[in-house]
Amino acid sequence: MQIGKIDSVWRYPVKGMRGEEVPHLYTAYTGLMGDRIYGVVAADGDPGHPWHTGRNQEEFILYKASYQASEDLLLPDNLDASYSEWEPGIDPLYPDADAFKVTVETPEGVTYDDIEDPAFIADLEKLTGRSLRVYTTQRGIFDARPVSLFSLSAAAKLGEELGMDVDKRRFRANFYVEWDNQDDPFYENSLVGKTLKIGEWLELMIVERDPRCTMITLDPDTAEATPKLLRHLARNHAGDAGVFAAVVRRGRVNKGDPIFLK
Amino acid sequence: MSLVETFRLTLDGEEHIVSIAADETLLEAALAAGIDAPHSCTKGRCGTCLSWLRNGEVTMASARALSPRSNERGYVLACQSRPSSSDPIWLDFDI
Repeated sequence: MQIGKIDSVWRYPVKGMRGEEVPHLYTAYTGLMGDRIYGVVAADGDPGHPWHTGRNQEEFILYKASYQASEDLLLPDNLDASYSEWEPGIDPLYPDADAFKVTVETPEGVTYDDIEDPAFIADLEKLTGRSLRVYTTQRGIFDARPVSLFSLSAAAKLGEELGMDVDKRRFRANFYVEWDNQDDPFYENSLVGKTLKIGEWLELMIVERDPRCTMITLDPDTAEATPKLLRHLARNHAGDAGVFAAVVRRGRVNKGDPIFLK
Repeated sequence: MSLVETFRLTLDGEEHIVSIAADETLLEAALAAGIDAPHSCTKGRCGTCLSWLRNGEVTMASARALSPRSNERGYVLACQSRPSSSDPIWLDFDI
């Protein structure tokens, strides 16, 4: 049964920085290709969450990170060959680590051709007064689960409840979705424990609701905080917005793909 | 005994005078008084109880969700805040 469609597909090359919308993307068991493969680690960070993010420096969410070879990092070269009779499919070969080079542009317009350029971290340390280092992995840095979904109807309803425009990008989801259900703006909450098929291949199990923190209070265009958004969630929606998913069957996902309830 | 026996709390445009016991955080005292103070993790990580300390002094056991900018603005995390002087405390959630 079709229950909705993919509004847009997003990945975040650097954890905590601005994301990029892509037309299609491979989603592995470990998450979306190129999603959050870089992070900035703070020496004085929480031992359980050492990442430097907008929680520590609001303007960090305005940093624009982009792959130098973005087009080559949407689908693995051998993806078609990896769809095989070996169900649920063989995880395909990713490009070499060198292909994942990221350019970073700061809100002030300073561009670093490579996030691993020592000047980037030196300037960020000077700005924040923290001891920092760049960390990278090809398979993603996630706080909780490898995939997140958030509906346009939830963003609209929260905006209505709060009397403000609530930009969907505050929620930093991988998949923004449009549900066919017009009665429940938070329809994704009812899908916890269920499996969705998206497009031709991808299958996700919705594992839990997404508990939120101060990141959603930050305006994605200005980094100004609106604390009442988080307060409203806590008092009216158990502090949650959107859902986390685990990948049951990997595959390509496209903007506009139908979403089916299995 | 706490350094202050009560504190002023602003929430949803309403003013409250809240009693606080020794070792209680401002959030714990507010909840004990039946006030629907916003909170979630109560560990200083999510930032839901971010509020403006308009007067008084507190110490915070942890302030992971408090950025330097928030700190400069006088914001605190109510779940981590305990009075640290006898100055009257005014905590404002309407920020």
